[in-house]
Amino acid sequence: MSAERTRTVGDVLDEVAFTVEAGKVGEFARATHATDPVHSDPVAAAAAGFGALAATPTHVVVSGHHRDQRAMVERLGLALERVIVGSVRWRYRRPLVVGDELRGVRRLVGDERVGGGSGRPPMRRITLETTFVDAAGEAAVEWREVVLERGVPS
Amino acid sequence: MSVREPVAVATGTAVPEREVGPITPTDIVRFAGAGGDFNPLHHDPAFARRAGFDGVIAMGQMQAGMLASWLTDWCGVEYLRELDVRFRAPVRPGAVLRFTGEATGLGDLDGEPVAALALRAAVGEDEVVRASAVIAVNDGSRAGPVGRS
Repeated sequence: MSAERTRTVGDVLDEVAFTVEAGKVGEFARATHATDPVHSDPVAAAAAGFGALAATPTHVVVSGHHRDQRAMVERLGLALERVIVGSVRWRYRRPLVVGDELRGVRRLVGDERVGGGSGRPPMRRITLETTFVDAAGEAAVEWREVVLERGVPS
Repeated sequence: MSVREPVAVATGTAVPEREVGPITPTDIVRFAGAGGDFNPLHHDPAFARRAGFDGVIAMGQMQAGMLASWLTDWCGVEYLRELDVRFRAPVRPGAVLRFTGEATGLGDLDGEPVAALALRAAVGEDEVVRASAVIAVNDGSRAGPVGRS
């Protein structure tokens, strides 16, 4: 919506809250070809010291189900068909297990123009960071995404 | 309660390789459903062509997730501390991803022995993902099993 103010660095872009669910852990483990039984077998998870089935390391990507990516892309003024993800970064304080109640706040932490020259248009580079906090208020996982919007040749 | 030991790692220790593929459109759709990424670039060939690709490409998070799961199947998800992934080239249906990596050094993170790893995914000779990771390791100084939670 044009009335919306443009997001600037430091702004909160969206918030998400979800519970780590056994079915989703299994689905995501299968989709990423994980073989460790701690993601699928409660006995194996318990034997490894987990209080419940362990989530795979990039499990919080499932927050995509609870986010409106298209709205966020619009809020940032990006053209979806020119957007690619350049890199991702994870920092782990503890592994996630089934039953964890997570809240993630996504912030815009960088917005710059990069590259260009020798006939190539510059790209816009957006850096987004989400810290997922558990029910006790402790940070469990940090996820940083660098999104690139390819420029339009002039 | 028993906990798993971290892996014993020296500089140069290789992560056991894994191959995944050939990647099919179904693999990409399965990941889209698992993660909730419904960007049409990853399932709608007409949209992908308008975006300048010759067909759908996988979302980077798919190969990043495969790399992460490959790594923690070996080192234990409870021992992964940091993971940085750069996407270097699109992954298309038909690609066979080959994951390789090795320890590049040992160190200490918040008082815990760790190893730095250099990791990659390649399709044939082409590197499509480059990554680095920090994992907790058993450097021989641990008195017994150590777990964080």
